[in-house]
Order: sequence, then structure tokens, then C-alpha cells
Amino acid sequence: MSTRLVSAGSTTVGGTAALLRFALRRDRIRLPVWIAAGTFMVVTQSVGSQALYDSADDLAAYQASVGSNAATIALGGPPVGLDTVAGAVAFDISATVMLIAALMAMFTVARHTRADEEAGRTELIRSARVGRHAPLLAAVLLSSAACVAIALTIGAATTASGLPALGSFVLGASVGACGLVFTGVAAVAVQATGHTRSVYGLVGGLFAVAFVLRAVGDIQRSWVVWTSPIGWAQATHPFTDDSMLPLVLCVFVAATLVAAGFLLLDRRDLGSGLLQPRPGRPAAPRTLLSPLGLAVRLHRGALLAWTVGLGLLGLVYGALAESVETLIGENDQALMIFGNPDVDQLVDAYLATTFAVTALLASAYAVSAVLRVRAEESGSRAEPVLATATSRAAWLGSHVAVALLGSALAMAASGITTGLVRAAQTGEASAFGRMLAAATAYVPAIWVVAGVAVVLVGLVPRQAQALAWTAVGVLLLITMFAESFDWPQWVGDLSPIAWTPTRPLEEWTAGPLVGLLAAAAGLTALGFAGFRRRDLITG
Amino acid sequence: MTSAISVSKLVKTFGATRALDGLDLEVATGEVHGFLGPNGSGKSTTIRVLLGLLRADSGVVRLLDGDPWRDAVALHRRLAYVPGDVTLWPQITGGEAIDLFGRLQGGLDPRRRAGLLERFDLDPRKKARTYSKGNRQKVALVAALASDAELLMLDEPTSGLDPLMEAVFQECIREVRAEGRTVLLSSHILAEAEALCDRVSIIRHGRTVQSGSLTELRHLQRTSVVARTERPVSGLESLPGVDDLRHDDGQVYFDVDADGLDLVLRHLTSFGVRNLTSAPPTLEALFLRHYGNEEVDNGVSSRGKPVRS
Repeated sequence: MSTRLVSAGSTTVGGTAALLRFALRRDRIRLPVWIAAGTFMVVTQSVGSQALYDSADDLAAYQASVGSNAATIALGGPPVGLDTVAGAVAFDISATVMLIAALMAMFTVARHTRADEEAGRTELIRSARVGRHAPLLAAVLLSSAACVAIALTIGAATTASGLPALGSFVLGASVGACGLVFTGVAAVAVQATGHTRSVYGLVGGLFAVAFVLRAVGDIQRSWVVWTSPIGWAQATHPFTDDSMLPLVLCVFVAATLVAAGFLLLDRRDLGSGLLQPRPGRPAAPRTLLSPLGLAVRLHRGALLAWTVGLGLLGLVYGALAESVETLIGENDQALMIFGNPDVDQLVDAYLATTFAVTALLASAYAVSAVLRVRAEESGSRAEPVLATATSRAAWLGSHVAVALLGSALAMAASGITTGLVRAAQTGEASAFGRMLAAATAYVPAIWVVAGVAVVLVGLVPRQAQALAWTAVGVLLLITMFAESFDWPQWVGDLSPIAWTPTRPLEEWTAGPLVGLLAAAAGLTALGFAGFRRRDLITG
Repeated sequence: MTSAISVSKLVKTFGATRALDGLDLEVATGEVHGFLGPNGSGKSTTIRVLLGLLRADSGVVRLLDGDPWRDAVALHRRLAYVPGDVTLWPQITGGEAIDLFGRLQGGLDPRRRAGLLERFDLDPRKKARTYSKGNRQKVALVAALASDAELLMLDEPTSGLDPLMEAVFQECIREVRAEGRTVLLSSHILAEAEALCDRVSIIRHGRTVQSGSLTELRHLQRTSVVARTERPVSGLESLPGVDDLRHDDGQVYFDVDADGLDLVLRHLTSFGVRNLTSAPPTLEALFLRHYGNEEVDNGVSSRGKPVRS
């Protein structure tokens, strides 16, 4: 790259083309994987739905059960076009794929701007004839190109899977447009903070806010949906209205945000964020002076964010419960399907099921917390600690303890908020305990997932990150598709989350939970044994 | 106990790479031992084996009369380590990191800590993400030097320090030695080793090529001579031990073995010496001999016989 960089002009965007080529090379595996993953999800949904709803009756039943369910609307999108298979596909999958596009955009922009800057690579590059704006411009262009690519790939692949071409490409364009907006959001966020991890926190948080706003808007069928860029992207109503107009808004806002990013870039120094770090403590507090104290300090930001996030999610679930109650109460067909049980109990069952999704998120947190061990290790921060009188078990244990207790805490937070809302709705204090118990029942299952990550870190450290996230991905697929697409029983059984009895629909038994705890303990012990026997891997 | 570190025939492989290939290292208690070698020669790998972070494939490794892999935690209470590339946690201040390392390795002296912060001119309130490489290195140095560890393992500890701070560092190491503590100092800054070390070990490709006191190594070396004479010098090339001979602008430049020096000087005086400069071999010359190409040209054994003291 060095010779190419020099050939550029002397404007503030000089060198962009060379940087873009270099960035493309760095991401030649990464971006295709993101694009393929998003496309794969749509195609899987499309193929599965076409097989599942092969008669008009099936589709009508689907529309009756899903289209009026506040929870599925909250997680999916506007209930439009559910009388066609194609519309059902768009409803089921668009929100998830938009999340993927947003994450892809966030990682791409941050990786080629703030992460490089933090590592000191930007300084080196900027010392060549590369303009001030070139790295950000190259990152934004790369991310935008990836968004266009995922739009086209989804369009083509979905058409190939047998859905109408126009709608397929509108769906793709909606996903891409959502990615574009978050390209802009990331372009601003990387200016705000000097730290890549904070960028991820900021953009992730904004996505969550946008998601909640559109969920509220879609459920209430109100203007609130228009406060969310995800709402705009879904307002195209693929396969039904195929209206591209809302995407103009996405592109406009994306462009505005990118422009704001460039303005902010001019107002800060290289390497720093707009938010200046304040001087800290000259000496350590007692709470820091142990391996566990250090681990808590390192994890506390992420743990706080996840706990608040899952707590908010619990709040939303709880708030939606009332609509579920109304819907079920009014829907004779649904009552018939469930065999006319107590409506309150049905609502409890709905909430307990939604906690499975929360448990999936808490598992993702637990895995990320365990993988922090690898980040510490390969970032050479483990080495000086393990060169002190800190045993390997104590050091690994401190991080694993935070992962296990932290994921339990985050899960409990969602149970507490749902419980509080539910208790307020029903006026029964006992609802609080039921919700907290239903949420925390998933903790052993989450710990099994964490245990898998510990084993990977202990035994196959170099592949641990890729394999652990693959496991979470598989878990996501199973949770999303296994039941609705009638995948074989053993596939569903791969998920520890599925082993947790869902109260009150299923009888509560200690057996599965004890089994899960034993599995988690065994996996963790195996991981510890591996870690104590192996070389520390630095660099 | 006379040996703080005793390593013999240490082998460590990473896949197909043989990082350490039968390395030997003896560090006596109370000495400052220079551990010299170019980048990638295996210095850091050796230190990581000594710290029990890597497991030796074969060979005998003793550290403070213990097994560095098995007794890691107990041994680490008695030593302090400064990595070559100090990475800290971005959100933790320098002062916090010093206290953390100090506590984890068994406590540090607060008065010494304060004195070192002043001498190294380090602001402990800054978060590590704002520190330069040199400042991060100072954090690790202050934590190590403020401890009362009996063994300090320093892996290229001054590579980010400016000359002023390097002087402070040398002063600190002399104080440490005066207290009778042992220092293993890996370096490729030769002036530093020359200034500080009692003995050095030179390694290359994971093998010890020479070790001994600087005086012992020096006598193996040659002298570089520059002479201006009244009449052009001839016949030098036929004298034993003379190398790299060249004439330039009325001056003659050459290297000569210690054994050949006397004869060469006699020969030179016959041409009327007007000016003569001779330089003692620096550690650079030692390095050049081991890592440069002339060792092959000169027919010096490239296997390098270890010299034991």
C-alpha cells in the first residue's frame, strides 16, 4: 500500500482510493461473510415459509396467530401483507437482517477509522500523502458499498428462492438502507469517543432505542414508528406496497450523519474523541487490588450496558403483556387452540417464552465476557498479571465469575422489570415472583453456553472466538427456526435453552436444571484444566 | 544458592518454528546479567519460559531454586517483571496499574513508589490510553523497582525511554545491584549493557553463542586501527590477524586480532606514523561478529563456542 498512498493528491480526501482498495483487501473475507449471513437468513426463511404455508388455510392460521400478537409484532415489524407467503417472510425476517446490516456497517466503519486510530495505524497512514478526511471517507464508502451489495444479494437470492422479484429487491433495498443509516450513525460515533469499544456501545445502544421505538410504533400503529430509521426501512412493505419512498428518508439521514461526522472530525485532534478523558485516580482503590477486582473493573461497563439493556427489554415485554391479554381474550380461535385456559396463565406462558429470547442475548453476553480472556491474552495484558503471584486459575476464574454472575444478573434484571410491570398490571404481587423465577430459570442454560466458551478458550484458544460465536449463531438459528420449521427434535435439543422448562405451560422440574448446572460445571472445569496446561498465547 | 537462573539445553518450538534451540543461561545471584540478541533471537521466549507462561519442550530450567512452570505462583512472589511491550488497560490510570501490579506481586514500598514517580517524571493520574509507549514502560518499571523482589526480569525495558530517562533507569539498576538483588536485563541497546552488566549472554537463533564478562569477551576481539603515515603502508595484508584492510586518502584502516597487534604496530612504525587511532571493540563489534556476514568470510566458526566463566 505504501507506494499507492503517495500517488494521491493533496486535498483533504487525497489517498481515499488507495485506502479503499486496502480496506477492501483487509475485509475480503469479513464482508462477504456478513453479506452471506444476512442473505442466508432471508433465503432460509423464504424456503422454510414456502414449505410450511403451502395452503391458504395454513396462511390464514398464521395470520390469525401472528398478525395480532403484540410480541411478534414487537420483534418483527409492521403486520402487513401476512396473507401472502412473501409478506410473511418479510415480516418474520426483515428486523433480524436489518440488525445484521447495522452491525456490519458499525463494525466496518469503526474498524477502519477509530480502531486504526486507537492502534496508532492512522497516524502512520496520515503521515503519508493522505488527506485528513480520507480514512473516514474510505470507511464510509466501503460500508456503503457493502450495504448496496447486501441489498442486491438479498434481492437476487430471494428472487431465486421463488418469491416475486420486485418485492425481493425492495426487501434487499430496505435492509441496505438500514445499513446506510447506521453507517452514518457510526461515522458520528467514531468522532465522539476515543475508544472503539465505546463506539460499539454507543451505536448498539442507538440501534436498541430505534428498535424499541419502531416496536412501540408498530404495536400502537402510531406515528412513533416514524421516529425510528428501522421503521422507515420497514415502511417499504416489501411484496405488498413495494414503496421505495421511505428509503429516500434513510439515504438523506445517512448522508446528513456522514456530513456531520466529517464536521466533527475537523473539530478534534487525531487519536482523541470529542469527549476528553478526565484525569483519574493517582492510586488504586482497595477494590481494584485483586484479580477479581481487576476483572470487575474491566467488565463493569459492558455488564452495566447489558443489564440495563435486558432490563429495558423486560420492561417492553411486560408492557406488551396487556395487549397480549386483550388479544387473547378477544380471539376465540386462539383460545380454542390453547384449549380455553386461564388468560392470565396464557400471558405468563407468553412471557416465559419471550424470556428464551432474552436468555439467548444473555448467553451472547456471557460468551463475550468469557472471550475477554482471549482478548486480554492476545493483547499482552494477561502476561504481566500472570507474571505476578496470580495463579492461572485465579486469573481465568475472575473473568469466568464475572461472565457467570453477570449473565445471571442481566437475566434477573429482565425478570425484575417484567415482574414489576406485570404486578402493576394485574395488581397481584405474586406476578413479580413468577416472572423473576421464569427469567432466572434460564440461568443454568446460559451457563452451559458460557461453559462451552470456557472450554474453547482452554483447549483451542486460537479458534475460540470464531467457534464460540458460531455456537451462539447456531443457538440463534435453532431458537428462531427449529420449532416453526419442524426441524428434527435432536436439532432443537442441541440448544440448552430449549431444555429449560417453560413455566407455567410445562411442569417445573428440577431435573433439567440440575443436569444443565452439572454440564456447565463440567465444561468449565474442563476449560480450566486446559488453560492451566497450555502455553499463554501472546500476540 | 549461587545461581538465580540456571537454564541448560532449553528447547521450545512453536509448530515448525524452533524458537529456542538448546539455549543455556546462567545468572548468578546478585549480578546484573545482560541478555543480548537481535530481535527474534528468542530473548522474550526465554523470559516467558522462565516466568512459567510457556512450557519448555525439553531442557532444564531452574529459577530461584524452583521449577518455573510448577512453582510459578510461589516464585512470582519473589520476582518482578517488565515486559518488552507494556500494554495496559486503556481505562485504568498509571497509578492504579502500579498499585495493582505491586499488590499482585506481593506489595510495594509506597515511599519508593513516590520517589520513582518523581524520578521518572510520570503522571499517575492519566489513563493508560493516553500514555505513550515510554510512559507505559515507566509504569511497569516503577511497579517493578518499587517492589522488594529479589529478582528483576526486564525485557528491553528502555526501548521507549528518552536518553534522560535511560540515565535514570541506569541509576536505579545500580541501586538495585547495590542492594544485592539480581537483574536479568534483555537488550539490544549495547551501550546499556556495557554500562550496567557484570556479565552478558549473547544469543542467536535460540542458542547461546557466547557468555561471560565483558572483559572476557573483549579479549577475543580485535582492535580497529586508523593510521596516517609518511609513506604509503604496504605489506599489512600478509601479517597474521589483519582484516578489512583499506587505504583511503593517505590513511590506512584495518582491524587486527589482539594476538597480531604487536607485530602490526612494529610494521607500521617503519612507515613513519604521524597519527594513530585505535578503538577498543564495542559490543557492537561483538554483535557484528556474531550476526554480521564477516564471521563466515573470516573463517570464524559460525557455530560459536560458548565461553563459560
